[in-house]
Amino acid sequence: MSMHPLHLLSWARTWALAGAFALALAPVPAPGSQPAAATRRPAVGAPGASGETQPSRSKDSVRFAVIGDSGTGGQSQYDVGARLAGSLQAFPFEFVLMLGDNIYGSERPQDFALKFEKPYAEILARKIPFYASLGNHDDPNQRFYQPFNMNGKRFYSFTKKGARFFALDSNYMDKDQQDWLARELEGSHDRWKIAFFHHPLYSSGARHGSEVDLRDIVEPLFQKYRVGVVFAGHEHFYERLKPQHGIHYFTSGGAAKLRAGNIRPGPLTAKGFDSDYSYMLVEIDGEQMHFQTLSRRGQLVDSGTITPEAVNSSSQPGGAEP
Amino acid sequence: MHWSAWTARLALVSAFAIASPSAAQSPPAGVNPTGAAVLAFQKRVADYVKVHRQADGKVPSLAETNDPAKISEREVALGEAIRALRSGAQPGDVFCEEVRPVLIKVIHDDFAKRSAMDRKALVQELPAKMALTVNMTYPSKLPLATVPAKLLRALPDLPPELEYRIVGRSLLLRDVKANIVVDFVRDAVPTIPS
Repeated sequence: MSMHPLHLLSWARTWALAGAFALALAPVPAPGSQPAAATRRPAVGAPGASGETQPSRSKDSVRFAVIGDSGTGGQSQYDVGARLAGSLQAFPFEFVLMLGDNIYGSERPQDFALKFEKPYAEILARKIPFYASLGNHDDPNQRFYQPFNMNGKRFYSFTKKGARFFALDSNYMDKDQQDWLARELEGSHDRWKIAFFHHPLYSSGARHGSEVDLRDIVEPLFQKYRVGVVFAGHEHFYERLKPQHGIHYFTSGGAAKLRAGNIRPGPLTAKGFDSDYSYMLVEIDGEQMHFQTLSRRGQLVDSGTITPEAVNSSSQPGGAEP
Repeated sequence: MHWSAWTARLALVSAFAIASPSAAQSPPAGVNPTGAAVLAFQKRVADYVKVHRQADGKVPSLAETNDPAKISEREVALGEAIRALRSGAQPGDVFCEEVRPVLIKVIHDDFAKRSAMDRKALVQELPAKMALTVNMTYPSKLPLATVPAKLLRALPDLPPELEYRIVGRSLLLRDVKANIVVDFVRDAVPTIPS
């Protein structure tokens, strides 16, 4: 069978693009991270194993885990929960950020056990606190559930060793919340300002995509008050965005749900992973923030370091904004 | 201009317009009918909040707890107390006749500014249609669809006891702590061609 040269060219271009995207999604470490080979161990399927978790670098650092869209009560949540607990050995994180959709479906008392207390029993037993934000599947009354540490608030903030965390309710960004956020950010003089909430301001997801409405309202505040890092969920995969207006955006919504193959190739993505469930481990060590993303099987999916120069640097132009 | 500031400026000239329903329906010359409608709505919202607070005082106060049963029991008890206090509530009691076209216009104007892709994504997020009745419990199995931030900014402000939500093509007024549907406007969201 012969092929017209123009068709051949088009065919080759298609495969080149597909190959480039596959490379972008391949589990290789990001620039600035430790080479995966240096710490690589065989991926272990047994729950509790730390897999390829990279060790923490300092005892005095702020170390935390990030999970999003976690509350299904399904096997995948339990797998990720076990893997997360296994990571504690190499990376003793001090708290966990929850990016919303903490309890899917019914919210009866037994659902809190099935969809939160049991999957993370080992972490809870070690008195490691969780800090939740609300997703579109969450009853706002979750804010009264003490293990979520929301102090009865839909939006709140807390400080850990010079890092200020802002939990937002992105489902309902009303005027009260906007005013609160502006006041809190203005009053914070912490070296690191980190926001976490459910809906991603930038996303390459075919299902949802970027939350432009929300972005137009909160991103100017993030820029004005120098928020350096933002974590969101909602999209059931992992994506590290190219810095936008000097802000580092991560989507980590695959801790129990997965939308396989949902990341569309595009200019926003620095790194994408949509072929398995995932969670993140983050360490703030003075002027540097190290992050690593691990799959349910303990595979290192992404890692890297954010430096102050890279935070809110006006020299970093935003990428394409769909 | 934001509704709260906007309506505040109108308050002086239209205060008497909400003295009676008939006056609110036909504001006198010189009174902006939209402002009068929003003021009438805000008065009904304030009346509802009084009911909510009265009911809130009848059930045990809710503090943070490790026991999720206490949270759901309290939510149910508050809902029942509110239902008892407004057992005769009807659709339109809060989303009054005057304000419904105003709210529908706000939503239609908001949708008109959105791209086809944005509208589709927004509608895709909305929970499927459900049979709506005043005072019903919002089904906990359904997601609480995000109200777009710019639309929220364009709608009249609500006190913390209440929030807007959208289900199907209906705009809901939901009691946040009691998880009950306080009122709704059908066909408020424009039809999006599939």
